[in-house]
Amino acid sequence: MAAPDRSLTLLGMTWRNLYRQPLRSSLTILGVSVGVIAVVALGTLVRGLWSSADDAIRAGGIDLVVYQKGVSWDVLSRIDEAETRATLSRIPEIADATAGIMHYIPIGDRPIVILLGIHPNEITPRDLSLLEGRRFASRDEVLIGAILARELELSVGDTIELQGTDFNITGVFSTDVIFFNGAVMLPLKSLQQLVGMVGEIGYCRVRLREGADPVAVAERIERENPNLTTIRNVHEYKKIDLSLEIADDVVFLITFVATIIGAIIVMNTMWMSVYERTREIGVLRAVGWSSRRIMGMIIVESAGIALIACVFGSLLGVGLAKFAASLPIARQFASPVFTASTFLLAISMAAILGIVGGLLPAWRAARISPAEALRYE
Amino acid sequence: MSDAETPAALAVQARGLSKRYEEGRIVALDQLDLDVRTGEFVAICGPSGCGKTTLLNLIAAIDRPDTGRLTVAGRSLADLRGVQVDRFRSAVVGLVFQLHNLLPSLSILENVQVPMLASNHRRGSNVERARHLLDRVGLLDRAAARPPVLSGGERQRVAIARALANDPQILLADEPTGALDSKSGDRLLELLGEVREASRTTLIVVTHDPHIADRAERVVEMLDGRVVN
Repeated sequence: MAAPDRSLTLLGMTWRNLYRQPLRSSLTILGVSVGVIAVVALGTLVRGLWSSADDAIRAGGIDLVVYQKGVSWDVLSRIDEAETRATLSRIPEIADATAGIMHYIPIGDRPIVILLGIHPNEITPRDLSLLEGRRFASRDEVLIGAILARELELSVGDTIELQGTDFNITGVFSTDVIFFNGAVMLPLKSLQQLVGMVGEIGYCRVRLREGADPVAVAERIERENPNLTTIRNVHEYKKIDLSLEIADDVVFLITFVATIIGAIIVMNTMWMSVYERTREIGVLRAVGWSSRRIMGMIIVESAGIALIACVFGSLLGVGLAKFAASLPIARQFASPVFTASTFLLAISMAAILGIVGGLLPAWRAARISPAEALRYE
Repeated sequence: MSDAETPAALAVQARGLSKRYEEGRIVALDQLDLDVRTGEFVAICGPSGCGKTTLLNLIAAIDRPDTGRLTVAGRSLADLRGVQVDRFRSAVVGLVFQLHNLLPSLSILENVQVPMLASNHRRGSNVERARHLLDRVGLLDRAAARPPVLSGGERQRVAIARALANDPQILLADEPTGALDSKSGDRLLELLGEVREASRTTLIVVTHDPHIADRAERVVEMLDGRVVN
């Protein structure tokens, strides 16, 4: 047999040690991967929600969106339309303002469909593009988003029932905002009546004149009408809606729990491995390996498991996120956004659980007395 | 041998070594005195449980005596701490165990390199040195083989190559022929003799095997934890 010319390295030994129990190593990697899959899939979907929300805020070149101050969910915002318009009209930097209401209702077997109320004369080509039909002209007419039209198999000329009232579909639209492609757009006055908000709106989307300072305008709006608050981008979204922050917290919590579970799985595997290799570790100590080197070997092994699980779990997590986003309920809200931060989170999680999971077994291995280990059967 | 012999000439000097196990109920070594000259081939014989392996473990610094003084290759083992002990094990002594204790997941070429990872050998030269040592024990053509596919005698030859990995001053072997048939045992003894001649290494062998005792320059008889001859 030809002699290989490879030098033995600590990493080489690590790989051999993982490979010698392939089933156990594979099951451990699979167990840890489940956590990574959850973190990556949820993380990318939540990033997608943030991205969609940002698109919705900025759609049509909007600079500011005005809401009721002190609400924790944007659909709960109720502001007096006339009073709000009066406040905005006093600010010369404002070019135009579009009032609206957003509401959620179930339609058929779809648990959530967005209703967007908007004045017919305030719809601009920047807000949407009509794929077929025409805009609504009367109070019993609506437009539906392209995704919703496809999901419900509706087209121009059909009717749609919204909270017990039938509406005629006059057009199918699409926008750059994924949220709205699954929505029904109807005249503001119709929606005001439908949800009991006559004379009230949920928000007002504001476009500024060229060169105007959005921060200064936002401050002035809030100063002139203390009942109002403004958001300029998704990072300010928490002022009127905590759902994205909560989604982030959920991802963090899942990451935390998955890290703990992963660390316990790795620890259990490495503990068994050290136990089974007591005699071998005694031999390594007897031939001069320091306890630090023994610890290093065990931690590198556990980190190796975590690293493989990280790569494997990330790939499956991406696949799962894409699959989840293709489901009807998710398709209208967000598509996954793959950012470096999500994968950094997965890598950090793997690094922490790999090191933490390996520490206790490594400590035990380092404390093995070579004389006792060599007597061990 | 007398206390007057210069320490430099002695590979091992033990004075009043005692070691007990199980909270003192089992006496493994009892005030043992022993001198081994540098380059000497000593066979340590005696009945099972007389303390032979315990003595070997103390000389290899993989265990510590309860009392007494032990100097090996000029180093007082009681004075060694932490990494000094690791360096001593790595650089001064080479160990051959009765059950070879090779790592089954590594090839025999890699097994020979295991002690080198603990020393300051440059990694590039490790594989060359391991190949040289395998050649010396007649197993270079099986360098890629894993220990489980080797015969008992071949495994012990690999164990000798591994023990020589870091050029030890003292080679310690615990019943190296204990698990071998007589033919394989004879070949192994020849190999140990050749190795010792070639590298002028001190060789201390714990054994029941009369063949080893016959080949040794000196036989140390032990009984109940003491040297009796």
